Amino acid sequence: MRAAVIGAGQLGIDLARRICGSPWLDCALVVGGPSSDRGLRLAAALGCAVSAAGLEAVTAADVDVVFDVSNASARHWADLVATGVVLLDLTPGSSGTMVAPTVNAASADSCWHLNLVSCGGQAVLPVLETIARHGGRDAVQYVEVVTTAAAASVGRHTRLNLDEYIATTQDAVRQIVLGGDAAPGAGPGAGHEAGHGAGHGAGHGVVKVLANLTPALPAPAFRAEVAVICPGVEERALRAELAAAAAAVRAFAPGYQIVACRVDGDLVRASVTVTATGARLPAYAGNVELINAAAVLLAERYATLRKP
Amino acid sequence: MQAPSTTPSTSPSSRRVVIHDPTLRDGQHAVGHRLGAAQMAAYARAADAAGIPVVEVGHGNGLGASSLQIGRAAIPDSVMLTTVRQALTRAQMGVFMAPGWGTGDDIRRAVDHGAEVVRVAAHCTEAAVTERHLGLVRELGAQAQAVLLMSHMTGVEQLAVQCAQAVCFGAQAVGIMDSAGHYLPADVCERIAAICAAVDVPVIFHGHNNLSMAVANSVAAVQAGAGVIDACARGFGAGAGNTQLEALVAVLERMGHWTGIDLRAALAAADVAEQQLMDRPAAIDSVAVFSGLAGVFSGFKRPVLAAADAAGVDPLEVFAELGRRQAVAGQEDLIGVVVGELRQR
Repeated sequence: MRAAVIGAGQLGIDLARRICGSPWLDCALVVGGPSSDRGLRLAAALGCAVSAAGLEAVTAADVDVVFDVSNASARHWADLVATGVVLLDLTPGSSGTMVAPTVNAASADSCWHLNLVSCGGQAVLPVLETIARHGGRDAVQYVEVVTTAAAASVGRHTRLNLDEYIATTQDAVRQIVLGGDAAPGAGPGAGHEAGHGAGHGAGHGVVKVLANLTPALPAPAFRAEVAVICPGVEERALRAELAAAAAAVRAFAPGYQIVACRVDGDLVRASVTVTATGARLPAYAGNVELINAAAVLLAERYATLRKP
Repeated sequence: MQAPSTTPSTSPSSRRVVIHDPTLRDGQHAVGHRLGAAQMAAYARAADAAGIPVVEVGHGNGLGASSLQIGRAAIPDSVMLTTVRQALTRAQMGVFMAPGWGTGDDIRRAVDHGAEVVRVAAHCTEAAVTERHLGLVRELGAQAQAVLLMSHMTGVEQLAVQCAQAVCFGAQAVGIMDSAGHYLPADVCERIAAICAAVDVPVIFHGHNNLSMAVANSVAAVQAGAGVIDACARGFGAGAGNTQLEALVAVLERMGHWTGIDLRAALAAADVAEQQLMDRPAAIDSVAVFSGLAGVFSGFKRPVLAAADAAGVDPLEVFAELGRRQAVAGQEDLIGVVVGELRQR
């Protein structure tokens, strides 16, 4: 199946490498922006066709699946929707169907515009889904997510779009884990004031996300901490369920680990670290590996499902 | 007592210094973010009466930061803002917001509630995250400032580059926070001078007192060209506390700098802080000295002491390990990790 990548920064080039390594996918094209000369040279060295001509090049290339790591996926989807391609959208704040492979991949099988949420979302959705399944999603009163990424692992788009990263991740937890509607109070920051009331029993289903970028050197691995207020969770049983959830993620992102889990009354905490494996990315950039590997896995799923 | 002049002098040795007062924001760290509306109103009225030009309010980590991770505030941001706004007649109301902890919507709500000075904060190498939010503050018509947190973690040149970048994004004042209380006066002098040379807007310095250097560092900052100095009543702030406002005002007065603050009234405001905000005096205890040397965020003091006590481990060892890992503000989850590892040793 023919794939194109829009965006030739760190994420785009790593995606192109992964696509080139997939038995199901062929990286037919990498499209870069005005300042992506270096990225396009790297893509060309991988044997991919490259173009600086933007979306026109993509529509002309006759591809089946498009990975979008640019900052303009909304505009791109408007132009791609009629072409019959599947768009895997890695841009925070996009409008497609939100997917985490081990949590809800099947629910997206009939969708043409898939949204990979965020690297933090990919890290915590399997954990939160496990906790909510254990305790009952209606019993979840409050969810908090704190992610810490090495400064060197994120590019300009992530820095510019921290509000969207937060809003998208919060929406994904509400929709996928809590089965709620993202619309009411879904905007960035909307959870803050409501979240405040959670400790007073008023914040049913409130989700709050915080994001840190750390300048520490050597750069630490990507880390995500979740705190869930949910009565009736049994720590020993939850640990076993989380171990299984983590193993499922490791099938495509080997550096994914749940490193802590503890239950203290109604407060459930779990910690995730993600390292990048292999030589393609520095070890700390587990966030990049996780979201890119998830996107490639979903494209492979699409390729095998639609295989005649 | 010599009364301060009411007009700013233009001579370089007696420049005007703007005292920015984060007592009702940084002080939150010292009381687990539990300041209530009546306390805030009482201090804001006293600070306003003293002629303190900017009174900053919020959760200890700023707008939107109330959380299990960092600590839950006693009252919502909107109540803090409404309360303090009503108490101020002359002073501007300031807020602090770090992208990742808060969002643009928090800034919009704060400006709606009457915030006039909005500080957008980033860790020392991450000024790029402030671009959109500084633009938003300008668009909303408030004064946009940018501050670099944990500034001891990077070099002098990098700080100047990052501050210059923030000015390009629209910051009308830029500067550095000594979030860990790690600097000595010569460090501050070198950094402020480099930033002053790189930008054409007022430069900010925010000190912490872990090594008993906060007033001396602030004086060094003024001498190196800083125009905005943060100071808190009675030093009420994270860790060992901040630069003590009333002491700094007295020192600057003796140096011939004009702050526009009435010292007597500032002393009265500091008494209000001591009696109504603080549960104990700001003190340079052993933990504070050690965490300052280790370069750990001052706001970690309370959570580290609580976690170390519960686990029966030495808090100094926790700070040493957090320093080794270069933990930054917002990474309170690392405290539990480090305490857990120390307990197993």
